[in-house]
Amino acid sequence: MSSRDLDHYRSGQPAQLADVLERVLDKGIVIAGDIKIELLDIELLTVKIRLLIASADKAREMGIDWWQNDPFLSGGNGGKHLEDRLKALEEKAGL
Amino acid sequence: MSVEDGPGWYLYGVVAAGSAVDDGDVSLVSEGPVAGVASRVPLEEFDPSVLPERLGDAAWLEQKIRAHEQVLEDVLRSASVVPCRFCTVYQTEDELRRFLSERGSDLSAALAHVEGRVELGVKAFVDRERFMTGGAIRNDAIRELSERVAQSEGGRAYLEARRLDQLITDELMQFKDEIAEPLHERLAGASDDAVRLNLQRPEVSGRDDEMLLNGAYLVSDQPRFGTALRELGAEHRDSGVELELTGPWPPYNFVPAVLGAA
Repeated sequence: MSSRDLDHYRSGQPAQLADVLERVLDKGIVIAGDIKIELLDIELLTVKIRLLIASADKAREMGIDWWQNDPFLSGGNGGKHLEDRLKALEEKAGL
Repeated sequence: MSVEDGPGWYLYGVVAAGSAVDDGDVSLVSEGPVAGVASRVPLEEFDPSVLPERLGDAAWLEQKIRAHEQVLEDVLRSASVVPCRFCTVYQTEDELRRFLSERGSDLSAALAHVEGRVELGVKAFVDRERFMTGGAIRNDAIRELSERVAQSEGGRAYLEARRLDQLITDELMQFKDEIAEPLHERLAGASDDAVRLNLQRPEVSGRDDEMLLNGAYLVSDQPRFGTALRELGAEHRDSGVELELTGPWPPYNFVPAVLGAA
């Protein structure tokens, strides 16, 4: 990067996970017919990852183990249900 | 080792055939005018029967996603690239080659659109404190109330401070709505293509300040974009607007979403 103007507006930190996720998981070409993952709700997933990274132990203490048994992630039609659960989780975790 | 037993191919993105890609971990699989940037991966890791479980494993997911991004960023230093979405996996080299050859013209068109360009991200936030004290507040009601709060005491001061807080919140919301599109338009004017992404909530962005713009810009002239960014930053500094630049990214937001199998 040659421009000082541009450098001035960089945070100087490595790319934030949220910015990487919203691109790598949600954008870029999708090729029909290959092994395909369910298109995930990126925001939901990012919050989940942050929650997990920040407080996996705390979550386990509270008996939260959605990442083991997640209808949304395991391809079921549980998106709405999960969103409700996540909201409850976030409240419990004080997010 | 038969093809059926062998590992699969993970496709990161597509470049023009003959591009100089200097990364020992990935191979260039050329078909006609295009080449896939790919590496061999154990298929069992990406099998649809286990993938959902892996996606629930935050450590696995973050590592793989960052690796995907890193490969493409390395490629981007020396070549224009059409990025693929996460987990684009072919079971055999033949299937990968068939895709590259059958969709060659679509891929070439996508490459032409991003040739010599990178994606830059700009997020804009408003700092509430600076918004309050800066020149942005033109609302007389807020000014009057601020003065009264400063002069009041006790319970009355508390109630008026609450009211002031609400007024400022409303004013801030209105300001954010009004300024987002003009900011985006100015940055779009210094780029070749532009798109507004969904705003990130504070728990996602990791910042307390509310995001007012999350833009992605396809840029060939980076110094020109930098100048536009600096000018915008200077114009809106008094209003508490903060601009944050990310990238250069592979142009994820400027390639066609879906290339169907022929």
